[in-house]
Amino acid sequence: MNKTMINRVIRKIQRYKGWFGGAAALCMMAGLYVGLLASPPDYYQGEVARIMYVHVPLAHTSLLAYTVLFGGSIWYLWKRDPLVDNMCHAAAGLTALFTLLALLTGMIWGKPTWNAWWTWDARLTSFIVLLLITIGYLMLRTFIDDPEREARYAAVLAIVGFVDLPIVHFSVEWWRTLHQPQSISMRGVSISSGLLIPLMLMSVGMSLLFSYMLMVRTQMLYLVNLLDAKKGRLLSQFHLSKAES
Amino acid sequence: MTAFYLRWGVVLVIAMIIVGMTVRDYEQHLASVSPAQILDDPPHGDVRVQGLVKAGTLQGNLEEGFATFALGGDQATLSVEYKGLPPENLRELKLLIVVGQWDPASQVFRARELALLTHYGFVVSAYLVGLLPLLLVLFFMGRKVSLLFEEIKQSKLYQSE
Repeated sequence: MNKTMINRVIRKIQRYKGWFGGAAALCMMAGLYVGLLASPPDYYQGEVARIMYVHVPLAHTSLLAYTVLFGGSIWYLWKRDPLVDNMCHAAAGLTALFTLLALLTGMIWGKPTWNAWWTWDARLTSFIVLLLITIGYLMLRTFIDDPEREARYAAVLAIVGFVDLPIVHFSVEWWRTLHQPQSISMRGVSISSGLLIPLMLMSVGMSLLFSYMLMVRTQMLYLVNLLDAKKGRLLSQFHLSKAES
Repeated sequence: MTAFYLRWGVVLVIAMIIVGMTVRDYEQHLASVSPAQILDDPPHGDVRVQGLVKAGTLQGNLEEGFATFALGGDQATLSVEYKGLPPENLRELKLLIVVGQWDPASQVFRARELALLTHYGFVVSAYLVGLLPLLLVLFFMGRKVSLLFEEIKQSKLYQSE
């Protein structure tokens, strides 16, 4: 991909990312309003169930973020496009952030409902493995100096790590767990519309927010690399001129 | 950079409005008082009272949705007469919230609804822990992108089409 083409992609991101940011803000504001003020409390859990409107969308988005990382890694190994590598790097950072926040909000929800901050339940354990895989991915990227090798090894790790996602998703069906099963599945919807509407609004809003953050972070990493390259070129020109003189 | 800070200012204002509405809703509809507060300053209209169902006081027919019991607080005890849906969570020595009206003539609290005790601190913590870091990360990333664009434009590296 030549520089003009990359510039065009970055300009497109700059042009359209605002729409994603605006739509995310609208959905999340509406979701917060309905979730905190207009929706009824849960019959069994009462008001504590409102934590669902922030915990479940965070967990969904962390899985979405890793899926983007997985797809991007395959694409990178196929096309060797540095901009896609930037996107994967950005997606990994965001996966770690969303997974960590989903775990923390889940712990806060677990204390009043299970009377425990943490339990080595299949869903929770597979989710913390996801966080460790993502942290491992980010650490790997800091250990290798050669950018091309760094991107290749990181992509392979991301593809191998994807095996954890089906385990996270199906853990509540494969094993007996404390964590409740999915409320929305192929078998139908087992949640009342009063609770479903804010949940959907927050889930869509959080996914749009992730898309927006991915664009901003990809742009940021690309611009940092561009600036580093520019500084590197200036430095080599300086050394060259010094050697010539 | 001015447009960037303006956008964030708008987000902050809307977030503050939602926080304000939530706090007001909590104070109006969800905050509960103690039995002593009911006796000291008898309220008008619906009120939520939090207390412990005293041992040996629960009587009535729960399956038909009728019960009488004494609701104890730190300093005072309230006589409660409940009429409503058959309650699933009403038993002696249980902390709960009764929703209804105080009848000053008979000195009985007439409850029509029972609610679970909620730890609102958990709900507030979850929202703060879940959303605040996202907003902070987004703010600092957006700011860095704006600064990088400025730096790159000044270094004449960025090629506009």
